[in-house]
Amino acid sequence: MIQLTDIIVKFGDFEALHNINVHVREGEFFTFLGPSGCGKTTTLRTITGFIEPVSGTVKMQGQDITHVPIEKRNIGIVFQSYALFPTMTVHDNIAFGLKIKKMDKKTIEEKVNTIARKVDLSDEQLKKAVSQLSGGQQQRVAIARALVTEPAIICMDEPLSNLDAKLRVQLRNELKKMQRDFGITTIYVTHDQEEALTLSDRIAVFNKGYIEQIGTPNEVYNHSQTEFVANFIGDINPLSGQIVKGLGLEESRHHFVRLERVRVNRPKDEGEFQTQGKIENREYYGLYIKYYIDIAGQTIKVIEKNDGINIYEPGETVTVGIHPQDVMSYDAKQ
Amino acid sequence: MQNASVNKRNLGGVDLSLLYKVFGGALFLYLFLGFMVVPCLNTLTSIFTVKDAAGNTDPLAVIRFFFTGKMPSFVWNSVKLAVCLVVTVNVVGVSIVLLTEYFDIKGAKILRLGYMTTLIYSGVALVTGYQFLYDGNGMITKWLVDMFPGMNKQWFSGFSAVLFTMTFACTSNHALFLRNAIRAIDYNTVEAARNLGASPFKVLFKVVMPTLLPTLFSLTVMTFITGLCAMSAPTLLGYNSINPEIVRLAGSSTANESFPQARAALLSVILALFTIILLTVLNHYERKGHYLSVSKTKAKLVKQKIQNPAANVLAHIYAYVLFIIYMTPVVMIIVFSFQNWAAVRAKALNPSQWTLMNYFGTQDFQYTRSNGKIATRKDAISGVFANEKTVGGIRLSFILSAIAAALACVIVVVAVNYIFKHKNKKRAVVVEACLLFPWLLPTILICYSFRIFFNGNVWYVFNQNLYYKENVRFLIIMAYTVVKLPFALRMIKAAFYAIDDELEDAARNLGASQLVTFLRVKLPIVLPSVLAVFALNFNALFTEYDMGATFQKSEGTTYAMVIQSMCNEEGRDNMNMNASGRRCASTVFIMIVSGLILYLVYGVGARDLGERLERRAKRKAFFQKLFGSKKAA
Repeated sequence: MIQLTDIIVKFGDFEALHNINVHVREGEFFTFLGPSGCGKTTTLRTITGFIEPVSGTVKMQGQDITHVPIEKRNIGIVFQSYALFPTMTVHDNIAFGLKIKKMDKKTIEEKVNTIARKVDLSDEQLKKAVSQLSGGQQQRVAIARALVTEPAIICMDEPLSNLDAKLRVQLRNELKKMQRDFGITTIYVTHDQEEALTLSDRIAVFNKGYIEQIGTPNEVYNHSQTEFVANFIGDINPLSGQIVKGLGLEESRHHFVRLERVRVNRPKDEGEFQTQGKIENREYYGLYIKYYIDIAGQTIKVIEKNDGINIYEPGETVTVGIHPQDVMSYDAKQ
Repeated sequence: MQNASVNKRNLGGVDLSLLYKVFGGALFLYLFLGFMVVPCLNTLTSIFTVKDAAGNTDPLAVIRFFFTGKMPSFVWNSVKLAVCLVVTVNVVGVSIVLLTEYFDIKGAKILRLGYMTTLIYSGVALVTGYQFLYDGNGMITKWLVDMFPGMNKQWFSGFSAVLFTMTFACTSNHALFLRNAIRAIDYNTVEAARNLGASPFKVLFKVVMPTLLPTLFSLTVMTFITGLCAMSAPTLLGYNSINPEIVRLAGSSTANESFPQARAALLSVILALFTIILLTVLNHYERKGHYLSVSKTKAKLVKQKIQNPAANVLAHIYAYVLFIIYMTPVVMIIVFSFQNWAAVRAKALNPSQWTLMNYFGTQDFQYTRSNGKIATRKDAISGVFANEKTVGGIRLSFILSAIAAALACVIVVVAVNYIFKHKNKKRAVVVEACLLFPWLLPTILICYSFRIFFNGNVWYVFNQNLYYKENVRFLIIMAYTVVKLPFALRMIKAAFYAIDDELEDAARNLGASQLVTFLRVKLPIVLPSVLAVFALNFNALFTEYDMGATFQKSEGTTYAMVIQSMCNEEGRDNMNMNASGRRCASTVFIMIVSGLILYLVYGVGARDLGERLERRAKRKAFFQKLFGSKKAA
């Protein structure tokens, strides 16, 4: 569907993207994930045509669109700020692209009404100014505006980042449902790993203008290919000293274990490494409890399901167990 | 959009966008050099190209003359006025803001309304209004003399009159900007200081005032420049400061005195130097930044009660005395505008002599000749909208101000769009600097330069003399436009900052060309600000005095000049019998126009689309209810 090959983007002397290669499949929900300044938005803007790469090609449905102007690419965009035109009503915002294409009034009305129904916007809301809508409704307008021109793909640049936590979770679900209903190929940019993991079919993890890993949420979380991915996705414990020795791991490499893979006060499994530790601190989250356990001077974080019975107090000594197969190991960087 | 390819339109193989750029650049350069740089340079060089009696150029003649003649007294008078004005305006300005915004004074809302009347009542209208009430025969002077018989009847003239008038005329900026600054104070900081044991006055001087200092500094500099460049008050009230002298010299000839034009040029350059130094200081100070509240949950300022009963009473007395000073001229002018000519000329209210004659219609005047016969002077009494000269002045000022205000907006919108498109590039900085150039120069220097330089055939304006007959109107439009460019730039640039970059991207993504994006997305967003700038510039130019006085000639008599001449022509040859009444009516008309413009700008114009739709829906519901219930009945 969308194929980026050896894309290099420069801003003056600064190389923002180094040889980016991505293939997004038809109907896929594909996420560009990474910290600020890693190149994910630059890649998205290269696809949409706002940035022209120094070298490399952008292909859509087999056609080279690298030098095709923005307005001719047939790519819908939902912006971070939604970029709704404040001087137009909701209706006029959605109809803007159709009017530019000089469609007749009747067709415009039909298309606007159809898309409005699909994204759950009422006739009353269509007459309103965008400033009169809630954050969630504004997002639906932005999506409707992007979809009404029937683009081949839709790109979303951190569309949930301006919302509060609760609304973000709610809209995340709506977004996924809409994407499924429309069946449209979606490229989504976010720095929020939880958002990426819950929404995506596949994720590309960016770092300093490179792609570190492309994979399904399970692959990037449980089988992180690089130390950066392991650290960036979810919380993780770096292992050292006594634990590395106990697990029989190479000391020259870097080793990590996810919090939920560390077992507390459980019977020893076959091959499992167990040691004693002291509870340093405890954070109560309701659904689960996070413990900070001191093991021979090294603090290990552990997540335990809150069953209401096995709750450990700070200062209490516990048994900590780690399976060698749960450890992710990487060569130390030069 | 970085490095992005753009669809280029072609005309027979010629790149149209390149054509636009070349044509636009050439036009901009022509306007900048032709109407800003060259005339001002001509003024500067005229100082050093004076010829002596033998016809030899003597570069230092004017400077020698300056030090030996009485020219320094004009500079000294201007500086004295500026310094005194800084003190009086700050005292009155700060106190009106504190009295209405910080201290709990009874009737603060009414007081605020009174203090803000100078926003709609200013310039030549205010000066002539004050003159009407305070001069030797003025109504208030009569009252004061009745109360204090030893008082000098002619107190309202010269320096004291100018200082008094300008003190109250120049507090508008305090009422706007200082009020906003004090409202921006986080009340929690006041509470924190109180909690730490500070008394209310300690809080005022240690917490509140320091946060206002940057605004006060800016206001002080602006007041100083206003005092230095004062024109209407010194001219009308008789004070020998720089500006009236420049205008006098500009109209003088070498037959009457030594090199008047070069002397005027020197005075205007001295004024420019003062302005440049002060604005540089201001700019340097502003760059240091203002005190910004670091609070994330700012609390609204709560008015402070003055605990000491005596101090509280004194504050109330002071507040209401100021209110009376502000309001009396306004009320009196309104009242007298409805009095007949006899009452107005006697400056005594006559409850039985109400009339609309000062506004509409004409009336003949009967008088007794020296031979005892009764004669009639036709249409000797006429209203603002019936007097040919007044209507002519209004019409001319209206047209010139509207064209200049619109021109300034168009130039600045196009320029700012260019500046934003080429952000962080040298050419954008150059364009901006060119548009800010007039800010550094006093208005009088620009106008004087225009008047002198274009008073001859200039090759780049098609060999025309722009100061000749009706051409002066074009010259006034150009001067108005040039002078208003910096203000328009500052305001419209701020509006462009409010445009989210993503809006432009979104429009382009939806297929809109750059022109369509500008016209349908960006322009509607900045339009309220552009219209506000247009309205404010129009408002300022409509009753503008300084430029009108510099360019004054029969084909270019603006409204302000008509108002000024009304005073001089009253009763001459038994004509213009109600000139003072008509002047009062003119002032009321100006107040209505200014009030309307301010309402449109800050009231209607400040509403966004959502608010407008809500109001429309409410109106619709109201009428439906009204007509629905009538139907039901």
